[in-house]
Amino acid sequence: MASWLNNSWLWLTENWLQVAIPLVIFLATYVIGLWVRRVAFRAFNRWVGDKWEGSQYVVQTTRTPFIYWFLILGAFIAVEASVLGSTGKELAGKILASLFIFSLTWVVLSLSVKILRFYMRKISHLQNSEVLILNIVRVAIAVVGALILLDIWGAPTTPIILLLAAAILVAALAFRDLFANLYSGFQLAQGEQIKVGDFIKLESGESGYVTDVTWRNTRIRMLDGNLLLVPNIRLVQSTVINYGRPLKKASKPFRFYSRLYLKELTGLKASNLSELANVLREVPDAVIYYHTHHFLEEHHYLTPEPANDFALWVGDEIGDEVLEEKLASIDTFDYPTISALRSRIEGVVTDYISKKPDERVAREGREFYFIKSISFIMPTTYVANDLREFVEMLRQVSLDSLSYHIFEARLRLKKRTNDFAIWVEECVGDQDLADRIANLNPYDYTLDGMRSMMIQLIEKRVK
Amino acid sequence: MQTPIHLQTRIRLQDYEAIVGKSSLDELKMLAQKFEGKIIQIVNSTYIGGGVAEILEHMVPLLNQLGVDARWDVINGNEEFFEVTKKFHNALHGSSEKISAKDLALFSDITQQNLDQMKFYGDIMFIHDPQPVGLITKKKEVGKKWLWRCHIDVSAPNQKIWSFLRKFVVQYDGAVFSAPNFTRELPIRQFLVSPSIDPLSDKNKELDPSTIADVLTKYGLVSDKPMIVQISRFDRLKDPLGVIETFKMVRKNIDCQLVLAGGTATDDPESAEVYSEVMKQAEGNPDIHVLLIPAESDIEINALQRAATIIIQKSLKEGFGLTISEALWKSKPVVASAVGGIPLQVKNQLTGLLCYSVEGAAYDLRQLLTNPEFAGWLGRNGREHVKQNFLITGHLKNYMLLFLALDYQSDVVNL
Repeated sequence: MASWLNNSWLWLTENWLQVAIPLVIFLATYVIGLWVRRVAFRAFNRWVGDKWEGSQYVVQTTRTPFIYWFLILGAFIAVEASVLGSTGKELAGKILASLFIFSLTWVVLSLSVKILRFYMRKISHLQNSEVLILNIVRVAIAVVGALILLDIWGAPTTPIILLLAAAILVAALAFRDLFANLYSGFQLAQGEQIKVGDFIKLESGESGYVTDVTWRNTRIRMLDGNLLLVPNIRLVQSTVINYGRPLKKASKPFRFYSRLYLKELTGLKASNLSELANVLREVPDAVIYYHTHHFLEEHHYLTPEPANDFALWVGDEIGDEVLEEKLASIDTFDYPTISALRSRIEGVVTDYISKKPDERVAREGREFYFIKSISFIMPTTYVANDLREFVEMLRQVSLDSLSYHIFEARLRLKKRTNDFAIWVEECVGDQDLADRIANLNPYDYTLDGMRSMMIQLIEKRVK
Repeated sequence: MQTPIHLQTRIRLQDYEAIVGKSSLDELKMLAQKFEGKIIQIVNSTYIGGGVAEILEHMVPLLNQLGVDARWDVINGNEEFFEVTKKFHNALHGSSEKISAKDLALFSDITQQNLDQMKFYGDIMFIHDPQPVGLITKKKEVGKKWLWRCHIDVSAPNQKIWSFLRKFVVQYDGAVFSAPNFTRELPIRQFLVSPSIDPLSDKNKELDPSTIADVLTKYGLVSDKPMIVQISRFDRLKDPLGVIETFKMVRKNIDCQLVLAGGTATDDPESAEVYSEVMKQAEGNPDIHVLLIPAESDIEINALQRAATIIIQKSLKEGFGLTISEALWKSKPVVASAVGGIPLQVKNQLTGLLCYSVEGAAYDLRQLLTNPEFAGWLGRNGREHVKQNFLITGHLKNYMLLFLALDYQSDVVNL
């Protein structure tokens, strides 16, 4: 033992320089490492600043390992500068490289997990899948690290890499939509373009409130109450209008109703003008309503729309163009009730035949048949809480619904104006908009034209 | 008899959304909820052939998909019975038919047999046309609501046959007609419901050009010559001979071809006789093509309509004339007689041209053949008119409203 110590001391005194140089190199590398870390982290903080919330995780995770990597570098240079034989140097190099890869793998793994967790927590429901996703990432990084280590030690990695590559390819193909949606979810979360509570409208026309952004889909509660699931990738790739948060709520929501009607014969018919005037006095309101409004619905595509049935029949069957014009020019909008409208129509016919008696008779089978409409009124699923919802629903409701709120409510159900104007005035509190809607004469437009006019007025207001 | 297997079709309600819009389908679904626990029993005389069977074939599955328990039965009848009911049909249209006491007795016997054999399980009994009208006799026993759906024009009927049928009709809770001018004065409620076409059926769906070309080739028709087409059963009331006469007047000045295409129905024994008369009249004229097309050839009918330059329907009497709606749906200009339900579909000068004579029809055809822009405008209007008023979705809506109306007397019903 004593002789071994003596021999070693003797060797050191004779070769102290060969020991001191690697030691100095090692310590110098450590000191340089400390300085580089300081400079690099300062530069990184200055560069990133507040631009990226994830930067804190980069600093936290790499601060200590950064020094380890310089120590490993110092050790490697020191070994290379030492008097060790080539076999010793090779072995030492492999050990140091392994330590570096091990450390680097740990850092990448730790950093990835922290950043992923940070973003996933911004997307609700993704939290449910957090453990699964993080484990997949952990395994993937660990496998890559292990493969590099095996390669350093000369183990055959090619078959394993090929196997893994094949497995990844299969998984990527099988789950390509999933990955695409997942990535899109991250994009949505990072950009904060769409948030829960926003009112959005898709390129395809659907609209509604965002109720959730999950790792695959964005959930939208549509205006009819149905839930729409939109793959995240569709939201990222298509044009989406985000109207932001809802507008001020109306004091009472507006429920759209629809009016469907069935035609029932009254058994009454007229073959000349005198009979027409006589029957007009007797028939129920539902008959007058039908013959002054059904053309607006059944021929809503024609511009200008044909006038009321009385005018058409007088022109086509009796052949009296003067009376036809007088009847066609009666502006239904001027009459607040059916009885007032009836009096006017009957008055025009009576007045005309009193001045110019007309005995012309319609052809058999072409008499004027008095028909009444039985209205079936039912609520739809569309309920608007504010003007934004209202205008979107206005685009979607049927012509039957429009007809009910514009014509039927006003005239037959004896309301002073249409339902839309009343709601805007009383529940939204916008008198000016209400007046503008009330002043639109629905008998001058097709139903779709009326719809467009109201949408334009409301759109201007909500912008 | 049970609902036939062929009704388990590929028709899906949601497929109509692209045509009529989501809100219209939503309305249908809401209406359908009102029939929970109720059975609608529909009865007519045949599953195949004619407009009524064609509508029911599409309507019953759609009602079922809406959740309405609608079931379709047909009455049993032999050839003699259907010959008698064909006479009834013609007589109700006003033709002078010789209907003997023996015929009436046969009708009563077969009706009684059906009353004995048929199961009456519906909460609403929806009986179509005169053939099964006598089933109403069962009302006293089973109760429930009974509706008679009359698809023909009974405004000027043979009085003898109307008196015979009227005693059945007045026992119903309501009668349904296709047009106001089809009706008679009756002591029961009378409703108006137009029949309809199915835009997704083989007869009306979009076809690719190669299919149309194949059909033209099959029947030896050329596509480079204007084509005037009448699609209808070979029936005197469709006036195929009048159409040939009209065509010959037009052909004097304009190079064109005429296609008369149609089939026969199981309840129409007269068709073959009319067909041979038409063949004789067309003999020797290479521009007149008379095509006897089997009932199941809907794609071929569709192709012929789409290939047509003008569709003509020169009927002397009509029920409703669904071939008009089929033509209008394909944006085709139409020349048609102002009879039956045709004026409801063809608004003169707006969605087509109405005629009253062979000469008038020939004049209209010439106008359209020489003014293609006007013809196109009429065709486009016609399609919109059908979309709004004569599609099967609207028909479903009207039938459900009709069933509901039986429970209400007021003019405004809050559901």
